Amino acid sequence: MTVASDGGVPSGPAAGSSSGLVKRFGRALPALPGLAVLLFLFLVPMAIMFVFSFWRTNNDFVVVPEWNLGNYARFFVEGTYLRTFIKTLIMAGLVTVAALAIGLPFAYFLVRYTGKLTQRVILLAVIVPFWTSYLVRVYAWQAILGEHGALNQILQAIGVIKVPLDIFNYDDPGVFVVLTYIYFPFALLALYASLEKFDFTQLNAAQDLGARPDQAFRHILLPQIRAGIITACIFVFIPILGEFLTPTLVGGAQSSLIANLVLNFLRNDQFAEGAALAIIIAAFVTAIMIVFRKSFRVEDVVTSG
Amino acid sequence: MVTNQPWPGRPADSDLAEPVPAIELRHATKRYGEAVALDDVSMVIQPGEFFCLLGPSGCGKTTTLNLIGGFIPLTSGDLLIEGHTVNDLPPHKRNVNTVFQSYALFPHMTVAENVAFGLRMEKLSKADIAQRTREYLELVGLSGLAGRLPAQMSGGQQQRVALARALAKRPAVLLLDEPLGALDLKLRKQMQTELARIHRQVGTTFVFVTHDQEEALSMATQIAIMSNGTVLQQGSPREVYDRPANRFVADFVGDTNFLAGTVRRDGGQAVFDVGSAVVDVQGDAEAGPATLMIRPEFLALRQGDATDGPRGLTARVVNVAFLGNHTRITVSTAAGEMVVVRPHGTRDSTADTQRELGEEVCVWWRTENAALIRE
Repeated sequence: MTVASDGGVPSGPAAGSSSGLVKRFGRALPALPGLAVLLFLFLVPMAIMFVFSFWRTNNDFVVVPEWNLGNYARFFVEGTYLRTFIKTLIMAGLVTVAALAIGLPFAYFLVRYTGKLTQRVILLAVIVPFWTSYLVRVYAWQAILGEHGALNQILQAIGVIKVPLDIFNYDDPGVFVVLTYIYFPFALLALYASLEKFDFTQLNAAQDLGARPDQAFRHILLPQIRAGIITACIFVFIPILGEFLTPTLVGGAQSSLIANLVLNFLRNDQFAEGAALAIIIAAFVTAIMIVFRKSFRVEDVVTSG
Repeated sequence: MVTNQPWPGRPADSDLAEPVPAIELRHATKRYGEAVALDDVSMVIQPGEFFCLLGPSGCGKTTTLNLIGGFIPLTSGDLLIEGHTVNDLPPHKRNVNTVFQSYALFPHMTVAENVAFGLRMEKLSKADIAQRTREYLELVGLSGLAGRLPAQMSGGQQQRVALARALAKRPAVLLLDEPLGALDLKLRKQMQTELARIHRQVGTTFVFVTHDQEEALSMATQIAIMSNGTVLQQGSPREVYDRPANRFVADFVGDTNFLAGTVRRDGGQAVFDVGSAVVDVQGDAEAGPATLMIRPEFLALRQGDATDGPRGLTARVVNVAFLGNHTRITVSTAAGEMVVVRPHGTRDSTADTQRELGEEVCVWWRTENAALIRE
């Protein structure tokens, strides 16, 4: 329920006067450091990037203020960009589906069938990898999936394969596995948070009223954890649109995702072109968020209280 | 007007000498590993009863309810609903519905949608669903609140939604798992009357689980008192109150005075030795150690030196508590303390209720109002 309250502060005629202004400033004071960070570390760089995206990189690799739409046109004209972008969406989509497919049954099992202590221990185990650097974890996967990695050695040792497999090595399946590993915890935590609030007696009630277990799941559980599922999707799908390290380290030359192309521009000092591509991605993400925001609101109304 | 639908496949009552029981348990046992939750219980619940499973927590009453609802499987024995064995039938295929302790309303659905859910699962037509939803919301007095969400309602109203939702399925048996437990005292009393009315109106068999003996006595037509996974006694509220099968039942249902002693034959007459005193008991009692049980309201007081009426025990008044409609007098006898309850407002009890502390009295009762319990 959204109950608007002013925190008990009387909003009388004094609100417009000078003493009212002082009061308001006093209330806003704790928010100022945050606003400063947002302004100088996010909005200002974003604005610079936005302006750069309409400028041009000259032959000396200097961004010059010559307004044009060429940087954007390139995205739609040269096939590589659109192809890579679509491939990135497919990769992000597959990883999201995989993270949900693993995370939902797991979170359900945790919440319904294990005690609070077990839940805490397992959730801690899920979070612990974040204490190690991202880079180290991806390198570790290289040691598992690589040509002479643990996976191939085990498979060879037990005689399943003769020659080392290379599907997980410097190719998309390897990127998929590593991205799923990295983003699964985010999905799990989001799903856990929404499942934890669910009263499982409702599933008994649904079955009592004649619903098959699958109907009880669809009509009763799913609508009530939809917010958690959407959060999980956002936590997984959107960061993958900015993933460049895993494709670089685990994937091969063909495994580039869209963020790798941005990185390539920046490495080549083509800041204007890079900025335009980054803006396209950002615009796309914003569009997704707006779409999901709508479903968020509906759920907020329904699940509150 | 709500009518109870005949359950398909149910033999007409006229074909049989006795009606088919709504619920029958035959040697029902439920074990959780080593722990026995229900121990070889056989029980018959007749159609149309308001049947109360009464007992302290952990006695097996909720286990019994969950077994009937189909939420847990039997370890051994049989469960019959309207004459059909349903041991392995999943909950959604059983013709019983449950009002859960926490109500378990669906928070994302309106009141009407909650009531309609079970009917939707039955694939009834839209018109039937709407009609029946209206009918049952009216039955529980919530017609005006069909569009509310459960979170916007009070506990008592949520309780009514849960009731309407379960009854709308027109089950053979309605199971109620301590549904009044979460309500405050005044609301609980109100709902007790309300439940009794609804039971009379729909005629469905109600099986009600509670640990509150007053609730059981006031609503039930039959009570089964349970302890440690077994049924100690089954009978009408008056039967279990007036003729408790054992000390546990006597103690759990209502307040009771217990006197430990020995029955002795004195000529043709049975008498009861309690400490140094002797009182009369009903003539056919067998000799041997026993416990005499007398409800506080059957005890009366008279002057210590008076000799009229049956033999009593010499006592001293140790506490007098005036409670409005009655007075509780605690007296100390050679056989221990006894509680005497005298109603307010009748002339012959006035003398009883105005006893002085420390006063020497004689506490007595009519022999037919005392029950002998063998351990």
